[in-house]
Amino acid sequence: MDNAPVFAVVGHPNKGKSSVVATLSQNDAIAIALEPGTTRQRQAYPLTVDGRTLYTLVDTPGFQRPRRVLEWLDAHSMSASDRAETVAAFVTQHRDDPRFTDECELLTPLVEGAGIIYVVDGSVPYSAEHEAEMTILRWTGRPSLALINSIGPDDYSSAWQAALGQFFQVVRKFDAVRAHFDQHLSLLRAFGQLEPTWESPLEQATGFLADQRRQRKIQAARLIAKALEDMMSYQEKRTLTTNQATETSEQALAETLRRSWYQHQRRREQTLRVSVEHLYQHKRIQRQEAELEWHSDHDLFSEDSRRAWAVSRRYLATAGFGAGAVGGAGIDALTFGSSLGTGALVGGILGAAGSYFYGDRLALPALKIGALRDGLKTATFGPVQDSQFGYVVLGRAVDHWWHISHRNHAGRDQLDLAPADSHWLENLDRKSRQDIQKAFDRCRKRKTPDDRQRVTFAAAIEQAMTVYDDWRLNRT
Amino acid sequence: MTDTAIRLLLEFDDQVRRDREQPPTFLHRRDRKYAMDCHKRGITPSPRHWLAHLARLSGQAGKSSADAALGTWRHIMMGFILAGSAFGVVTMLGLLFYEGGQRINVTVILAVAFLQLLLAGVTTLQAFAGWQPWRPLLTRFSDQRSNAVLRKLQPQLMARAAHVGGLAFGTCGLLTLLVMVVVQDLAFGWSTTLNTDSHRFLGLVQAISAPWHWLWPTAVPDASLVETTRFFRAQAGAITLNPARLGDWWPFVAMVWAFYVLLPRLVLAIIADGHLRFRASRLLKRHPGLTAWQYRMETPALETGNAHNDAEHQPDTSTNSQLKPLPESDTVICWAGAGEPELPDALNGPDTLVLRAGGRASLQDDTITLAKAADHLAHITRPAVIVVTRGWEPPTGELQDFLQHAREQWPRASHVAVVPLTTSGLDEPPAHQLQQWLRFTERLGTDFACVSLPPLLPQNPYHQREQ
Repeated sequence: MDNAPVFAVVGHPNKGKSSVVATLSQNDAIAIALEPGTTRQRQAYPLTVDGRTLYTLVDTPGFQRPRRVLEWLDAHSMSASDRAETVAAFVTQHRDDPRFTDECELLTPLVEGAGIIYVVDGSVPYSAEHEAEMTILRWTGRPSLALINSIGPDDYSSAWQAALGQFFQVVRKFDAVRAHFDQHLSLLRAFGQLEPTWESPLEQATGFLADQRRQRKIQAARLIAKALEDMMSYQEKRTLTTNQATETSEQALAETLRRSWYQHQRRREQTLRVSVEHLYQHKRIQRQEAELEWHSDHDLFSEDSRRAWAVSRRYLATAGFGAGAVGGAGIDALTFGSSLGTGALVGGILGAAGSYFYGDRLALPALKIGALRDGLKTATFGPVQDSQFGYVVLGRAVDHWWHISHRNHAGRDQLDLAPADSHWLENLDRKSRQDIQKAFDRCRKRKTPDDRQRVTFAAAIEQAMTVYDDWRLNRT
Repeated sequence: MTDTAIRLLLEFDDQVRRDREQPPTFLHRRDRKYAMDCHKRGITPSPRHWLAHLARLSGQAGKSSADAALGTWRHIMMGFILAGSAFGVVTMLGLLFYEGGQRINVTVILAVAFLQLLLAGVTTLQAFAGWQPWRPLLTRFSDQRSNAVLRKLQPQLMARAAHVGGLAFGTCGLLTLLVMVVVQDLAFGWSTTLNTDSHRFLGLVQAISAPWHWLWPTAVPDASLVETTRFFRAQAGAITLNPARLGDWWPFVAMVWAFYVLLPRLVLAIIADGHLRFRASRLLKRHPGLTAWQYRMETPALETGNAHNDAEHQPDTSTNSQLKPLPESDTVICWAGAGEPELPDALNGPDTLVLRAGGRASLQDDTITLAKAADHLAHITRPAVIVVTRGWEPPTGELQDFLQHAREQWPRASHVAVVPLTTSGLDEPPAHQLQQWLRFTERLGTDFACVSLPPLLPQNPYHQREQ
């Protein structure tokens, strides 16, 4: 598309122009600081689909000397009809003047045909000194939209709205750091309203962005499923020679194995975090999260982790019923149905009972130290036999995904992943519960799932993500 | 008998497995670009073309990752061919064992041929049903980590190997028969313990010969041959007819072997190969990676313009400046609307000269303000001016210009204290706002201007100062 709209994001210094661009372009590598003049040169951020640009956002420096510019424009204009040309002449004449570097950078895209996105801070009182800037922008004659971006806690947006309404075609409120994704799309559609020819590309762009978001959720579910599969089936193994075996006590060996096992799990979990963040184009996140911890030999996690992310015995029983029923159904098949489903029922009850009584403890067989054989001794730790391990990892992963998927790229504060205070997973439908439990059981037994099972598992996790999203929505 | 379909399946599966390590955005970009390239060139994208495209780009065109996976099955097939050939020769030699004193029983040869036919049928049935009774044996001797996709094709691969082995068996058996006919004077006859008369046996062999009776009439036994070549236990070795008649059975035996051992194996081997290809194609069509690949090709690749990275180019936010005490001054300039609607009491004495500049004021107004202040300062021994600003607004080039002009126009000893105010004008601005003003005066590079805070009203002792 040759005539893709261009929007120059302009305004007074330090009012969040770069934040707006960072959020809309999903770029967390744009410099944002509480310092005026952070942006010194204009920078274009095109949204392209298959290499075809649908629109371009241009981040610009803020006005430094608007009254002086306006004085120059006034002095060189005869009538309202030549104002746009006068602005262009100003840029041409002052391109090399260091005093007007910022103004030239700001006005150049407008002279070249860009639309205006004027950003103000709605958390500070309206200031008449902005009027010179707004007048200059009106002189350009370009389609314009004003954004009230609130940086601080106070709200003066109504005063701003009234003032901005006199200068701009459309006035919208948009919190660059906290706005939800739907608001991004709504804002992009508003850009399209500025000029009839811009509506179509902006409508297409919002469609593509919405699709991309849906797809990212599916991909995040797959990443989590893969990580869970890896972590649940991981086994730490050591083979010792006779000399090594005599030098190492069984207790020390067990401790070493357990430590290595946890380190590996932590690393794998961190890899998952980074993958999900990169999927959502967050590459510079500072994250704070409690590490996987344990207190005693057989407790996998601190009590806090268990309380926060593990599931109840009742949940385990219902998930275990489904998993057991599948095994029991085999008996029904063998008897050509003459058992009238008794096999499935018995299998289900056994599965449920097993999960109820043993599902939330780390069974001892996780640690195996073999006898000395052929001069070699083999010891293993894992795969973990406690299905709660999977639920804790799943809970933490889904929580992280939720924060990342709802985080705007303008946000620069540390991501603090505090544990949830509710067993949100218990809202999950029965089939998804069973699919997750079955996948955990497979991993526990180190059975490699086939492609269909992988797809089912990822779909169940995606469903869990939806449940978590709903739970968060209703909570806040 | 090529493995093109299996190779394609294995190579595709291998590529999908390798792709699991790649970021989804990269995969999407790569495959979408490929699809667009195909569209431009009028080519329909296919897994085969895609794999060739990837191999060409990585400089590995012509190399196949499927070779290693298929290696075991090549060995198995070779084993079947060798064993089949050896068994074919040995079996035929055994059937044609003749020491001159007795006759070679055609009935036994017929039984062996039909046993072969039965085995071939069972092998095919097994492949179609997916039975793998030999699986433990295969697991024991093959690589445990063998390809998961290839494992799904094991019944068909095994059936094909078995049929090819059977084909070798039949071919070698037939060749052995022909060689034996040439080099030895064989005497055939027929005999059975059952009470069967010659007419019924004639009916049997003629029914068996039906498929080739039009092709090679000599290979269809006639009534006299059947009648004259029957032998009994009691008359073993006794020849009562023309000895040449005893050799007339060989065309029939050769055709039985060709039609009931060799031909079925050939047909079933072709069917097994077709079944294998069909299964491989179906597995490829149902491969989850194929759906994901097609989705990536069909879905536009979106770039949100996030390539630019200037996060490291932060301005210098370190500052050495410190707050200075508020100077004694009776001149206050309100910059850009600061101090409106009224100045804090601490700054606004009864004799204070309050001037306005910046913001809504014009540049001419600024000039007038500068001139008025200059006049006022000219009569003061230690001239100082307080410039109040809105602490939350960043300092701009206009204020910088204003201060530079002031420095040029005001008496040499003049001094400016920039006082940033809060929205209420009653408390201290937060640290980050104060810092920007400190850095601003530092950047001016002279001692002409500094930052001060006004004496604040007596504070509530419980008031928490905002940092």
